[in-house]
Amino acid sequence: MATIAPGVQTGPYHAVLDHIHPEPTSFIRKYIFSIDAKVIGIQYMITGAIFFMIAGMLAEIIRTQLLSPDGAIVSPATYNSIYSMHGSAMVWFVVIPLLTGAFGNFVMPLQIGARDVAFPWLNLVAFWMFPIAGVILFSSFLIGAPDAGWTEYPPISLQGPPGTNLWCIAVFLIGVSSTMTGINFLVTIYKMRAPGMTFTRMPLFVWAQFATAPLSFIATTALGAALAALFIERVFNVPFYDPHRGGSPVLWQHMFWFYSHPAVYIMIIPGFGMISEILPTFTRKPIFGYKMIAFSSVAIALLSFSVWAHHMFTSGMVPWLQLPFMIITMVIAIPTGIKIFSWMATLWGGAINWKTPALYATGFLITFTYGGLTGFFLAAVPADYHEHGTYFVVAHFHYVLYGGSIMSLFAGLYYWWPKITGRMYNETLGQIQFWLTFIGFNGTFTPLHWLGLLGMPRRVPNYDPSWTFIFWNRFASISSYVMTLGALLLVYILIDSLRNGKKAGPNPWGARTLEWMISSPPPYYNYKKIPAVLAAPYDFGNPLPYIGLEAAPGAVEATPTSASHPVPTY
Amino acid sequence: MAQRVVRPKTNLGPGFWPVTAFIVVLSAVCVYVVETLPLPIGLIQAGAPADAIDSLFRFLGAVAAVIFNVVVIYTVYFAIAFRRPKGAPASMIGVQIHDAPVLEFWWTAIPTILVIILAIFSTKIWADLQNSQGDVLTIEAIGYQFGFQFRYPKLANPVTNELHLPANTPTTIHITSRDVIHGFWIPELRMKADMVPGLINTIRVTPTVPGTYHIICTEFCGIAHGRMQATAVIETQQDFAKWFAKQGGQQAAAGGGSAAGAAVALDQGKADAGQTLFGQKCSACHSTGPFAQKLVGPGLGKIFNDPDHPKLVNGAAATPQDVAAIVKSGFTGDIGTMPSAQMNQLSNSDIANLVAYLVSLSKK
Amino acid sequence: MAVSVAEHGHDVGHGAHDEIIYQETRDMRLMGFVLFLFSDVVLFSSYIFAYIYLRNSIPSWPPIVDGHQLPRLDTAFAAFNSVVLFGSGVTMHWALEHWKHGNRGRFDLFMWLTIVLGLGFLGGQSYEYAHAQIGGWSGNTFGASFFTLTGMHGLHVFLGVCFLFVLWLQTKKNVYDQHHFFGLTAGTLYWHFVDVIWVVLFFLFYLW
Repeated sequence: MATIAPGVQTGPYHAVLDHIHPEPTSFIRKYIFSIDAKVIGIQYMITGAIFFMIAGMLAEIIRTQLLSPDGAIVSPATYNSIYSMHGSAMVWFVVIPLLTGAFGNFVMPLQIGARDVAFPWLNLVAFWMFPIAGVILFSSFLIGAPDAGWTEYPPISLQGPPGTNLWCIAVFLIGVSSTMTGINFLVTIYKMRAPGMTFTRMPLFVWAQFATAPLSFIATTALGAALAALFIERVFNVPFYDPHRGGSPVLWQHMFWFYSHPAVYIMIIPGFGMISEILPTFTRKPIFGYKMIAFSSVAIALLSFSVWAHHMFTSGMVPWLQLPFMIITMVIAIPTGIKIFSWMATLWGGAINWKTPALYATGFLITFTYGGLTGFFLAAVPADYHEHGTYFVVAHFHYVLYGGSIMSLFAGLYYWWPKITGRMYNETLGQIQFWLTFIGFNGTFTPLHWLGLLGMPRRVPNYDPSWTFIFWNRFASISSYVMTLGALLLVYILIDSLRNGKKAGPNPWGARTLEWMISSPPPYYNYKKIPAVLAAPYDFGNPLPYIGLEAAPGAVEATPTSASHPVPTY
Repeated sequence: MAQRVVRPKTNLGPGFWPVTAFIVVLSAVCVYVVETLPLPIGLIQAGAPADAIDSLFRFLGAVAAVIFNVVVIYTVYFAIAFRRPKGAPASMIGVQIHDAPVLEFWWTAIPTILVIILAIFSTKIWADLQNSQGDVLTIEAIGYQFGFQFRYPKLANPVTNELHLPANTPTTIHITSRDVIHGFWIPELRMKADMVPGLINTIRVTPTVPGTYHIICTEFCGIAHGRMQATAVIETQQDFAKWFAKQGGQQAAAGGGSAAGAAVALDQGKADAGQTLFGQKCSACHSTGPFAQKLVGPGLGKIFNDPDHPKLVNGAAATPQDVAAIVKSGFTGDIGTMPSAQMNQLSNSDIANLVAYLVSLSKK
Repeated sequence: MAVSVAEHGHDVGHGAHDEIIYQETRDMRLMGFVLFLFSDVVLFSSYIFAYIYLRNSIPSWPPIVDGHQLPRLDTAFAAFNSVVLFGSGVTMHWALEHWKHGNRGRFDLFMWLTIVLGLGFLGGQSYEYAHAQIGGWSGNTFGASFFTLTGMHGLHVFLGVCFLFVLWLQTKKNVYDQHHFFGLTAGTLYWHFVDVIWVVLFFLFYLW
């Protein structure tokens, strides 16, 4: 142990952190089978973006179908496959890999001042399972795609088309990949933080990944078990879920939701982390209530294991069991509320620099609050008797998944894009893109709340032809085209930025976390020398709390400040 | 290096109190509107428990509206009031404040109290639903791909896709499915339960407003899921009695027979096959001991020769035909409800086998 | 400062710097391995939950099939087979202890004893599978849960045997030395984990 600054000691693993592997030179080892977490992160991003576009296209087919009460374009069978694949792809092949695999891999090691994750080879394997699983999933269209929704409740899924088997395999594989990533990230964050970076000095995005990782490797395994049982029941006729042979369809629901409720938090906690990074940077303020935000992530993660049966209030479980599940579900609102109020307080008194990431972060605040409040309606058991299985549920989870996860993903993408590519995007177009998304999104999903309450069930290709239903469905569909326009504009903005974007420099936003202290894009080894961390990263009034940062060779510009020049700028 | 500009620490920001006043007024208006709307979700109430569940909707709606107003209006206000002033240097920073323990205490405490109130309120309504009356009329609803069947006591055959409910009659509906999971939802009664094969879910309703309503399937059940709907007709008790008599007449005319059990050929029954069936279908509720050895229903081991219970629970003589009639049509009595053969998915030969088994038990 | 401080590959360290790298890498791997075992526990727990759920959803267990209650499993034989597996846990422990004391000959002996006992357990399990009169894997929920759970455990034992064999080969190639033997630690942990799972399964299927 050596003391290198007041309060900072280097542990034995400082040597490990400083250990630099030589950079690979061959194209394949550098870009295809790379073990560099940054490259893997970008690979996740590209793959996830492709799946996002496919799944988004499926969503537009769904909305176009619902333009007319009798179903405008596709047959009911095709429609069933389309929404099932839309849900499966969005949950497992877009949101989870993008939030953990893509941003977790690119940003998290940089933020803790590490050269890579703990197990780079495991990371490589985990990534490659993702596109393979995706291809398996979408190839099920060739032999009859699964049609029973992303939840695939038996017994209907036992009768489902042959593609359901591929669905089981694909989701199982992505589950294994997610498990690997979870273990990898937990060890990385626990063991590989830069010297001096105590738990209360970690950036909040790292906290979020730290809270998410256990969910990935604990809950996902339960999903794997359920999927394997569904697969062997379908293929080998082994009775688990078939009620006519002594099995129980409700058993699947327990096993599935034991995973899938924590999965909801796998899909949102990293988003919380991104928002907590973006707001301080653009308000030029320390995040309000750092510890409360960090610990509430952990609290949400812990609670998420004991609420799964709130998806099953009408399924027929012992009535008294409904109460604890209802109450614990409501309790989750408390840590979530703490976060929302803390973010609002971060906005207060800021010198807010209204760039696209900040707009998205604020938009997230509004849509996610809305989605959280409708969650209350669903948690209250008697109200859920009315809402279960209707469009109200669809509206609710799109508010938390699109208004929550995807909006935070967009926020994070705009925020870290200059770091990832070294180029700025077109700010005007970025803001237009935000408004298209925000307006289109709310227009699409707000009407679904009352459509559900008035009697529109989920997963139907046709609906009641009364004028209220037709009007609001058309309203939603047309708004969804606006949202799609926003997504297409995003593609243009990113391509435009790669071709014409001006050089970003190491720190275009004047942020204070470690990743902004090095050149953009970061060099292979991230840090020429592992820095030491003296304090939490968000004190804009103070000098940067890092020592030992040297300008990396090949950096486009020097870092704006370093501790050797104790003039506070950011 | 540019001079650092720090936003001066104003008290709360320009216009904070007017905005707060606006939030208070708007929230009060929202709460008033939500609480006084005759139909909070815009859907008529056709009977209990719609009013109870709507009162929960009102409560949730009022709380949600207030929270939503607070979050959204303050967020928008902060967003505008605390934007970087025009002409301020890029290095300008905000008020350097890390936390405010008092504030954090309150925004933890107030949501906690709200959660407790909501949980108590929801639990109270939940308990009311659990304890609500229902047993005046007992109906069975059976889902299949793609329709609903409803079975009434004393009607030998089920009615397809048309549920008639007498007004102001506490009704229990036992719900199950023949094939895959379906949903049973009458939006105007705010009540729903999944129809799960192998499982019987129970709801209790008391319809009040005569009319014709939809019964909607809410769990994906196959290709025609979107068209799986039935009609719920709530009618006055006189109209219901007429309809019921007409149904009975039609069924008798169609040869269905109103005397349940007539079609069961009891002499074909095999006791060993009946034993298997008993293990699968009956033994969750019935023991093979004497009447008093109850699990849910009475023990059936001595059903034909029990000196303490010479008659069946429905008052009929303990003959194989009478037992078969109960197994076939089900029965609701003071100790609970026995589902019908259709609900239990028993064919006529199954019934014969079961009766043969029960006969063999009584001989032991 | 040069970019490449050290070459890739640091399984056996020489010198103080490499020794620190070895120790830290070992700690990280150990943590990762324990977390992996933890997720494996969840896998088994899920099926155990399924078994308990299915068992409690019908009135009598073993289930009644075609009018006859299925027989219980052969507890006496399984108890004998369990002793074989637990014995292998003991020999594995001794193998590692002998390795730590540099006693290669004893290590080889106990390592092989572990592998043989592991294979013996698998043989016993196959015998049990052939003689269990519970309607096969796809016959009823008893067969489904029994064969799935014990089959998955058997697969773990089989992979464990392969793992131990590879470790033994590695010791012959001097991958490990007396102070650097992470692989052997992991193998031992894994083997004990498989034992512990069996204790639970034995209770659930044979004693309950």
